[in-house]
Amino acid sequence: MEEPKSPQEVENLSPIYKHIFGLMIVFSIMIAIVLVLTSMALYYSSGAAQLDLSRPGYNDVRDQIDKSDDFLNYSSIGSLDAGLINEYKIMFDQKIVKIESVDSFGGDPLSPVSLGISTESIQ
Amino acid sequence: MRISKKIITAGLFVSVFFCGLFLANVTAQTALTTDQQIELIRSNCISAKTTLNQLHSSDALLRVNVGQVYESMSAKLMENFNIRVASNGMNNTNLVSAVTNYGILLDGFRADYIIYEKQLSLAMAIDCSVKPVAFYDSVALARTKRVKIHDDILGLNQSLHQYRLSLDQFEIDNQVKLGGVKQ
Repeated sequence: MEEPKSPQEVENLSPIYKHIFGLMIVFSIMIAIVLVLTSMALYYSSGAAQLDLSRPGYNDVRDQIDKSDDFLNYSSIGSLDAGLINEYKIMFDQKIVKIESVDSFGGDPLSPVSLGISTESIQ
Repeated sequence: MRISKKIITAGLFVSVFFCGLFLANVTAQTALTTDQQIELIRSNCISAKTTLNQLHSSDALLRVNVGQVYESMSAKLMENFNIRVASNGMNNTNLVSAVTNYGILLDGFRADYIIYEKQLSLAMAIDCSVKPVAFYDSVALARTKRVKIHDDILGLNQSLHQYRLSLDQFEIDNQVKLGGVKQ
């Protein structure tokens, strides 16, 4: 077992060793900052930020997320015959009809007229 | 001959004069419209920003809900069906290429939405009472990005129909096998 260092020996140590504890804390904080910045960059660049409705500003729409999982997971295993294909086609057609019933991102809500910033809107 | 030269010269002067008069009038009108519009943006700044905020939220919700449906079409239906077809030893090349094309379009939709959301956030961050022209331009840019997303949606729908046609063709091509393979 190593013997405790005398005050004289401590005095003779390199300045790095004298402040090793403080340096470790600073180093830990620096690593934490780098990791946080990296994760935030990934969060914004991956598109996760755009899908994250838990962010402030989305309170009013958060509860309107469609949580009903009415999508049957079509089994990838099993045999295949004309009847099964027909069933699959019916299921697929129903989904297409449902999807096309909504004009997603249609309309023109960003037009100057819609925003009330066009002179046409006051004429 | 001299008279006709004078007449032509006079005619040219008159034409130039009236053209100048017309252009000056048009310029004045444009400036007036722009000034009017700038004033309108300033006066309706709060209501425009409120509309943008609401649109930002509702579009995010739409992105989540619509995205889920389009993802599920691929992950839960088409891909699983293609695997099943392959595991039954049938040729599914057309179906696979239709799903691949759908996947590319879905990636495009995801990327375009990110671009649109960033542009809309930029527009929302501009103080329209201080910088009305920058606000107008930024909103116009966001508008074009939103149109692009709508085009992506139409492309995805078209791609689903393409897959459906491939499915019909697959059924025709494998009529014998499908009749023979029992569940």
